[in-house]
Amino acid sequence: MGTRFRFVARRIVIGLIQLIGLVLAVFFLIRLMPADPAARLVGMNASPEALAAARHSLGLDRPIAIQLAGYLGFLGEPGLLQGNLGKSWSSGAPIVTEIKQTLPITLELITLSFTGAFLVAFPIGTLCATRPGGWADKGTFVFSLFAGSQPEFWWGVLFIYIFFYLLNVAPPPLGRLDPLGSPPAVVTGFITIDSLLAWNFVALADGLHHLMLPVATKVFVLSGPMIKMIRQNMVRALGSDYILYAESCGLPPRMIARYALRNSLAPALTLIGVLYGYVLGGAVLIETIFSLGGIGQYSVGAVLNFDYPAIQGVVLVITAVSLVVYLALDIAQVLLDPRVAG
Amino acid sequence: MSPTAALRRKAAAYPTLAVGVIIVTIVLLITLTSPWLAPFPPMSATPDVEAPPPDLIDVPGLLARAILGRLDKPVHWFGTDASGLDIFSRVLTAPRTDLVIAISANAISMVSGTLIGLLCGFYRGWLSELVMRISDLLQSFPVLISGMILVTLAGRNAGNIILALGLLYTPIYVRLARVETLSQRSRGYVEASRAIGLREIAIAARHVLPNALAPSLIQASVMVGFGILMTAGLSFVGAGVRPPTPEWGLMIAGGVDDMIQGVWWPSVFPGVAISLTVFGFASLGNGLERVYAR
Repeated sequence: MGTRFRFVARRIVIGLIQLIGLVLAVFFLIRLMPADPAARLVGMNASPEALAAARHSLGLDRPIAIQLAGYLGFLGEPGLLQGNLGKSWSSGAPIVTEIKQTLPITLELITLSFTGAFLVAFPIGTLCATRPGGWADKGTFVFSLFAGSQPEFWWGVLFIYIFFYLLNVAPPPLGRLDPLGSPPAVVTGFITIDSLLAWNFVALADGLHHLMLPVATKVFVLSGPMIKMIRQNMVRALGSDYILYAESCGLPPRMIARYALRNSLAPALTLIGVLYGYVLGGAVLIETIFSLGGIGQYSVGAVLNFDYPAIQGVVLVITAVSLVVYLALDIAQVLLDPRVAG
Repeated sequence: MSPTAALRRKAAAYPTLAVGVIIVTIVLLITLTSPWLAPFPPMSATPDVEAPPPDLIDVPGLLARAILGRLDKPVHWFGTDASGLDIFSRVLTAPRTDLVIAISANAISMVSGTLIGLLCGFYRGWLSELVMRISDLLQSFPVLISGMILVTLAGRNAGNIILALGLLYTPIYVRLARVETLSQRSRGYVEASRAIGLREIAIAARHVLPNALAPSLIQASVMVGFGILMTAGLSFVGAGVRPPTPEWGLMIAGGVDDMIQGVWWPSVFPGVAISLTVFGFASLGNGLERVYAR
């Protein structure tokens, strides 16, 4: 237990250092860039006085060290250290509130997409591994090479054309819920969970219906690399010595498959870690196409409006979430295979 | 064995390599010759707005007349978009933005990344440890979001996209070159070079570098595909090159509203073009990997 604990503790410390480093780097980086948020705020034909006033109200006329102190919360007003991310320069709303609304939508999308992709990729990858080089394996290989290289925004648009316009089985790509329906009361922010809590099955069905195409798009793109890695892990596991031993002991195939499965599970966890950043980046595109209003779409708005506090908030939250994800994966990995911590 | 037969045998042994080489060659040829292939100027509107592409039945006849030079007026092969721009000409011109950005960005990151990786692998110490941690940090964040922030705040133009992608892709090459250098430096030829009195820097540059380059070159093929996806993705969300630049992502984005109403051609043709192109680069990368692994 001692080594395991030390391993996890080390990961937490490294992660926190990375988080702090990234927050500071982003803070300075966006201020070094030639963009002028004050000019964006007052428009093109503003007087120099209006520009100066805007610059003052955003606090951009202060020295950068003072700005940082204010952001961190050393100047009296609550800042990062008090858990306050500031107010959005474009909407005026507290960024914590805006992120609380948008983050669950993205997490819901990502979780469902990962689950869906895994449910698709796992049987296919396993099937291919049982007969490497067979026709099913070759066909799947071409598919996974193709799917893994594809632009998801293009497939999202194509799916909208096919399933909304031509077949009319999907809702229009205009948000997370039907605007005429009654949304469930916000408890967790996850629409699926909230509608279950409210016993509101109409909203649940509507919410899932609206997620159908976004999730299908992500599953398509994600399944490519996932199938490839699951297949490799399975092939490796099936070719290993302990499987040979199990076979020579005369164990039934079903039991052997179970042993192989358990041992290929640990690499599958790594896979989630590897693909996670890629999926989050892709969420930006998918949320934009389907107007889902998640944190990806929010970050597009923040960047295009030169909304520095919102950009900082988004970077901080996304990094923190991935930190938690990686940590959870590390812990699961150690539990599955204690050799990792050694 | 004749050269064509040898080529055919090679293509049969490495089908992904063959597919990749064919697609990438076609795309490169189109990129080079698009000013002569495009029947309309890609950035100026024609009077035909949202004109559909010709019916499939008419295509062979029109094509024959086009080749013989007997067309009364140039055909909109892929139709026109909501502003009356010719989609065929724009699809052909787009790789001059997408491909050029992707290749230039990868050239920058490959040169700098390989150099840094080589040095970090050859001279290990606190500095190389720090460099690795920084490149970890760069890699841990979703590339599309960091690209969006860098490009938008630096100014949305092709040059800045190249610089941003060049910076964001560097860690990938640093890692590859470092790992390969670490495995190469313990081999016999390095020892032998030391024994005959070569200086460390000379060993690194003259002997280790060429041997450590292969994985980076293979990766570069895949990364050019990713670079195209990034360039298109950035402009798709409005954080890349500005309209009316002919660029696949912009064209797909511009056609989304039409597509919901059944006007499919403004998005579909650039979509198919980008889809095939990135598949070509992925396939080429896979083929090279197989040849190298043998």
